[in-house]
Amino acid sequence: MSGSRSLLTSAGTSAPRRRASSRRLGGRFTGLLFVAPAAALFAVFGVYTIVYGFLLSFARWNGFSPNWTWTGIQNYLDLLGANPPLASSVRVAAQNTLVVMIVLPIAVSAIGLVLAVMLNSVRRFRALLRTVYFLPYVTTGIAVFYAWRFVYEPNGSLNAILSALGLTSLVQREGFLGNPFTSLAAVLFVLIWANVPIAMLLYLTGLQTIPESVVEAARVDGASSVRTLRSVILPLLNPITALVVIIQLREALQNFQVFLLMTNGGPVDSTQVLGLRTYQLAFLDRTTDLGYASALGWMLAAVAIILAIVNLRILRSRQ
Amino acid sequence: MSTMEGAKTSIASRITGRLVGVLAIAAFAVYAVVSVFPFVTMISGSLKTNTEVLTNPWPIPVNPTFDTLVDTWNALDFPTLLVNSLIIAGLSCLLILVIFPLAGYAFAVLEFPFKRVLFAIFVGALFVPGVTVLLPIVILDQQLGLLGTPWAVVLPIVNGAAPIAIILLRAYFSSVPFELHEAAVLDGCSPFGIYWRIYFPLSRSALITVTVLNFVAAWNEYVLPALTNDDASRYPLPVGLQALLSSNVVQWNQVMAASLLIVVPIIVLFVVLQRYFINGLQGSVKG
Repeated sequence: MSGSRSLLTSAGTSAPRRRASSRRLGGRFTGLLFVAPAAALFAVFGVYTIVYGFLLSFARWNGFSPNWTWTGIQNYLDLLGANPPLASSVRVAAQNTLVVMIVLPIAVSAIGLVLAVMLNSVRRFRALLRTVYFLPYVTTGIAVFYAWRFVYEPNGSLNAILSALGLTSLVQREGFLGNPFTSLAAVLFVLIWANVPIAMLLYLTGLQTIPESVVEAARVDGASSVRTLRSVILPLLNPITALVVIIQLREALQNFQVFLLMTNGGPVDSTQVLGLRTYQLAFLDRTTDLGYASALGWMLAAVAIILAIVNLRILRSRQ
Repeated sequence: MSTMEGAKTSIASRITGRLVGVLAIAAFAVYAVVSVFPFVTMISGSLKTNTEVLTNPWPIPVNPTFDTLVDTWNALDFPTLLVNSLIIAGLSCLLILVIFPLAGYAFAVLEFPFKRVLFAIFVGALFVPGVTVLLPIVILDQQLGLLGTPWAVVLPIVNGAAPIAIILLRAYFSSVPFELHEAAVLDGCSPFGIYWRIYFPLSRSALITVTVLNFVAAWNEYVLPALTNDDASRYPLPVGLQALLSSNVVQWNQVMAASLLIVVPIIVLFVVLQRYFINGLQGSVKG
């Protein structure tokens, strides 16, 4: 299935015909000229910052003194356990990040799939519903984070709705972000809300590439709609699911703004995640060493890159 | 939709179909409410007074007032924030539209040395978390003397847009029939001529998709301007909004009014361009 192939195959695999013809075009280096502006910008803001950050992760620096003190892998060791207070804050952040990494891909692909199947089966209002469902994805940012914060306030609308429905036991007197037992779920809900639309759109695209005849054949064979969905449609959507999972794992590891702007990690570290901890080490905890921020950032990057490679392998092997 | 299979099937299954239909409509409605809930919250909050916003959690204000919007507009010096945000988002989108279609075209159509390596580097950059390079970026901005200028925010945003913009545009350019390219070559068109006269105009959907995605990202960017700028007259909207919330006594009606003012331009942009935007996203996946 062509699903996500075009997004993920590497550049060099175009047809030989194409290669023969483009050779007639200008010199061999014309392509490099086209890529030059992007590459130049990336050399400065990409390569330089990546190398700088990577080197800093092996050094100690307070941000002001002219020189770095090289410490080898000490920053990494400190974060992993050699510096107990620091390591314990990292462990809490890692646990919460893991929860987000598990819940976000599952919830987003499940809800996205259901919405896509439902949208695909209606004619009326399809365009309107698609617009409404897609709004969270394009608007997500500080403004909607604050709107959700207000909803979660002690005197906010969520508590009001729960008491109106008679679910008084679920009402949170200190607000949903003020209670360490509900805060992570409350922020996670916002992340899910913001990410469902892209999964829905990808699944909708996948559903539209499934030939009507395949679904019809299953129906003629007497399969129920649920059975058709499970045994015929879902397997055909596997590449899309893999893509959704990659995007959501990336989001789970990288999105720290939602935590910064909704809770800043609190209360009592209940919403502390690795990305936010990295940010705090770099910009908020003025007393610490900037090498720690870099080292933690690179540990996060290592997880992100390994997961991406594993995912792409699985995706390729299925095609 | 239950009528599609209707006629031939038994009454029992028709009733089940009805039931499924009703449940589906209920699910549609519930998710639609969840989707727009923050916007409803913003609108209702911005129409309430500070007293009412604390006492009436329901969306319909008892005494609706436009004073909150006017007060917020003045308290924030909204026009200044708006101009600063437009500068950041506009410059970002302009640079992105100049730089990345060229690269996407080269990766899709041309052959050149290091093509695979360069593409792999751009795609790989997608998986380096932004927060990992945030500190070096702020230090680099400082070294380049960009602190306090829009460029301190714009250049990292443009660079950060590279992976997705290049992947999307390459996929879209690859789907342009190659016969067009060959015909242009036979007519003696230069590589840049082919790009500018054929590929660029044909890829309107993909270009709009990339523009909308990045306009929204730049419009919502809070962290970079907050870290690279301490001159309030140069703050963009998100930093202004944040300042509103960090005051000692939070006036939620004003916070909601400011949030509404930030979100409305994005919603308008999306609704106007959504046909191209969604086609562009879908086209790049279908290939």
